[in-house]
Amino acid sequence: MNENNRELLDGLRELAADGPREAPRYIEERVKSEFRKQNRRRHLLTWVPVFSVAAAAAIALLLWIRSEAPRPAPPKAVAEAHAIAPVAEEETDGFYPLPEAEALPAVENAMVVRVELPVSSLQLMGVPVSEESADSNVEADLLLGQDGLARAVRLVE
Amino acid sequence: MIRGLLIFSVSGLITASLFGQGPGRRMERGDFAFMHAEFGGAHKVVQGAPYSAQAVTQFTQTLANGDHIQRTTTASMARDSQGRTRTERSFGAIGALSAERGGARTVMIFDPVASKSYVLDARSHTARSSQIPAARSAETAHARPERNSASAKIEDLGTQVMQGVSAQGKRTTRAIPAGREGNEKEIDIVTETWYSPDLQVVVMSKTSDPRFGESVYQLNAITRAEPDPSLFAVPSDYTVKEGRPMMRRGPESAQ
Repeated sequence: MNENNRELLDGLRELAADGPREAPRYIEERVKSEFRKQNRRRHLLTWVPVFSVAAAAAIALLLWIRSEAPRPAPPKAVAEAHAIAPVAEEETDGFYPLPEAEALPAVENAMVVRVELPVSSLQLMGVPVSEESADSNVEADLLLGQDGLARAVRLVE
Repeated sequence: MIRGLLIFSVSGLITASLFGQGPGRRMERGDFAFMHAEFGGAHKVVQGAPYSAQAVTQFTQTLANGDHIQRTTTASMARDSQGRTRTERSFGAIGALSAERGGARTVMIFDPVASKSYVLDARSHTARSSQIPAARSAETAHARPERNSASAKIEDLGTQVMQGVSAQGKRTTRAIPAGREGNEKEIDIVTETWYSPDLQVVVMSKTSDPRFGESVYQLNAITRAEPDPSLFAVPSDYTVKEGRPMMRRGPESAQ
């Protein structure tokens, strides 16, 4: 991860109301569940969910490591302004920063929109996907900044 | 390496996610279908600095053949002295993506006074409301990440009056060294931001990233008068439904 992505990830975690102190365990649980389901259905595809479980475990480990790392003190608060997390932590949990967003200005007011889109559209935001799945559609939550540009993506399971 | 791990993880989740999808309709690369919107994440509450403005975001992508693709989205924004905000935004485009069936328009009202947020649906005349959790300490108020990357060059652009308000400018240039992402030459990503300390909003920002394109965000027609209070209330002919925050899955979260 380069420096810009690290900063963006930090920012997203700030948005998530102080961020999860632990990695979101449901990611791993749901992917495991997916694995079991698919394993029953399609033996030939066993390795794909295994890959996903490994990926989720990697995320959990990564986020845990990062939550333990010391953070710089936040800048001094300005009078008459304060931040509120208008929704539960689950809403901002599980987002992945988009490479496309790494240079965009910091988010002042965030919103989340749920969209359906072909996987190939994710490529346009810098998410690498395999050509085999590019034609498939997925549901995703996009975290948008005040400018309406996407900062992060979360897949709807 | 960590970046690679993240990419690996996202790809893995995409793969897993696809197994839960049925054979959906065909959508083209660059399309998306808007489903619904929610407030999300942190929301800065600013009191004593009312304003109204039109926000325009223009995204331009230059193709390999020299052709350009441009997408523009607009939003009406208002904030009153109590810190209540209203954003009416079209979702015809999100960056490089274009809405498959035209742009949905959504109104969002954020009312820290009543500790409620609302998303208005003009088609069904319903408002989905959510409770705003208690404010965190002012210590976290401006908890914006400091972007003091060693590889970034920051230039002070001074102060200018933009759209009638004073704004402080800053240009940040980040360099991706040759080879880091398979690039032959260094890639410079330039972000210019003009921030109004009075209004505590970004008045203009411009980002140029050769990998994705150029985006320009600008607040136009800024008015500093107190907005009409009715803008921050749910219209009387709307039905208010208590909603849960958008969850990753579950029928109750859908609408």
